[in-house]
Amino acid sequence: MLFGLRCVFASLLLPALAHAGPFDRIGADGGKLLLTAGFSDVEGAGGGGIVPWALITGYGSNQSWGANSHYSDVRLREFDLRTAGIAVGVLDRLELSVARQEFEVTGTALAGIEASQDIVGVKFRLAGDAVYGQDGWLPQIALGAQFKRHGGFENGGALVSPTQLGADEDEGVDVYISGTKVFLGSNLLINVTARYGNANQFGLLGFGGDEEPDGTVNGEATVGYLLTRKLAVGGEYRMKPDNLGVDDEGDAWDAFVAYAPNRHLSIVAAYVNLGSILGPVTGVNDDQTGSYLSVQFGF
Amino acid sequence: MRLNKLLVAAGLGAFLAFSSAAHAEKTLFAQIGGEVKLRRTVDSFVEVMLADERINFAFANTDLGIFKRRLYDQLCEITDGPCTYKGRNMFEAHKKLDVTNAQFNALAEDLYKAFDRQGVPYRVQNKVMKLLAPMQADIVRKRTGQ
Repeated sequence: MLFGLRCVFASLLLPALAHAGPFDRIGADGGKLLLTAGFSDVEGAGGGGIVPWALITGYGSNQSWGANSHYSDVRLREFDLRTAGIAVGVLDRLELSVARQEFEVTGTALAGIEASQDIVGVKFRLAGDAVYGQDGWLPQIALGAQFKRHGGFENGGALVSPTQLGADEDEGVDVYISGTKVFLGSNLLINVTARYGNANQFGLLGFGGDEEPDGTVNGEATVGYLLTRKLAVGGEYRMKPDNLGVDDEGDAWDAFVAYAPNRHLSIVAAYVNLGSILGPVTGVNDDQTGSYLSVQFGF
Repeated sequence: MRLNKLLVAAGLGAFLAFSSAAHAEKTLFAQIGGEVKLRRTVDSFVEVMLADERINFAFANTDLGIFKRRLYDQLCEITDGPCTYKGRNMFEAHKKLDVTNAQFNALAEDLYKAFDRQGVPYRVQNKVMKLLAPMQADIVRKRTGQ
């Protein structure tokens, strides 16, 4: 709760800093084209909604820096996932992010149970430029890691840790490599990500499990179509591991509309399907579908 | 059944080949709207750029008449219009200017705005940008680590 408030404060503070004067007073140049800073994904990394991209977050150029804060709400049939975080992009090379996820069961007999997770993300651009390299095949490529720690369950009675559900650990690390390229001639942004990790439902149900303790490699992808300089539509797909016996975890996908009216604000709205969550426990085996709304402030 | 699929595939292939051939007939220069539209876009671009404090200082001592003609010739040539760009190449023209990525992007944004003012469709704008984007390598000063 305190963290959430802090994030709201940061949300107000960051654009205030940017408006305090010309960008160069704080060394931030806002030097990227609109939309090319990406958005804040559900784990706090610069990306789409559920997939991290190779783009470095923020509007700072290769000689500068940028930062943003975001708040996202995913409302599913029987669950609600809220994420707040801040991220910094340095020299268009390095991205650091901190995010807090709060997950709440809103339906079924488990309604009221809450979980939280903290995620610290690091991303390093290895090669390429998603926009300038229009005459070659090389995408922008970045290597990233997300250090995740589950904060336990609340209102769950005896249930306080994901290990009680069969998870091996309450913390874990995802490592991913992303390739992102903008095809200006066809107005497309294409991103492909390979992630190695053992997070159950992003880590909200712990890491590893009775069915598969070790990490596996899963593919993720985003295809975006640029309608204008400020508006894009697209879809994402994210394979997820299925490690827990109490959860028939399935793949996730979304269909989004993203709008960036200026370099200080972006909004993403999506229809999202995270697959079945805790079906064998709740008795609701249907895919968890719903809305995704994310607002990001920054420079 | 298999024959049906073959016929469908062949039909689809023919359609794609035909539509791309029909598409290829019109040059990007023509899609922009030809000489009149491109010259107006260049005029709009210079207006937008001169009002853009991120980059206007770099053009303080530029002969804008010559600049407009050169820019027109260059855009006309790369979009397969009936022109020949006779100015210096992009590396030679910018090597003493210390241009940054931020300035390069600011200029690109101003060109987008100029196209907008002239009502050139965004899809066509991006086809031009596709041709201009690789010039970043010649225009922006190389620094260590970039």
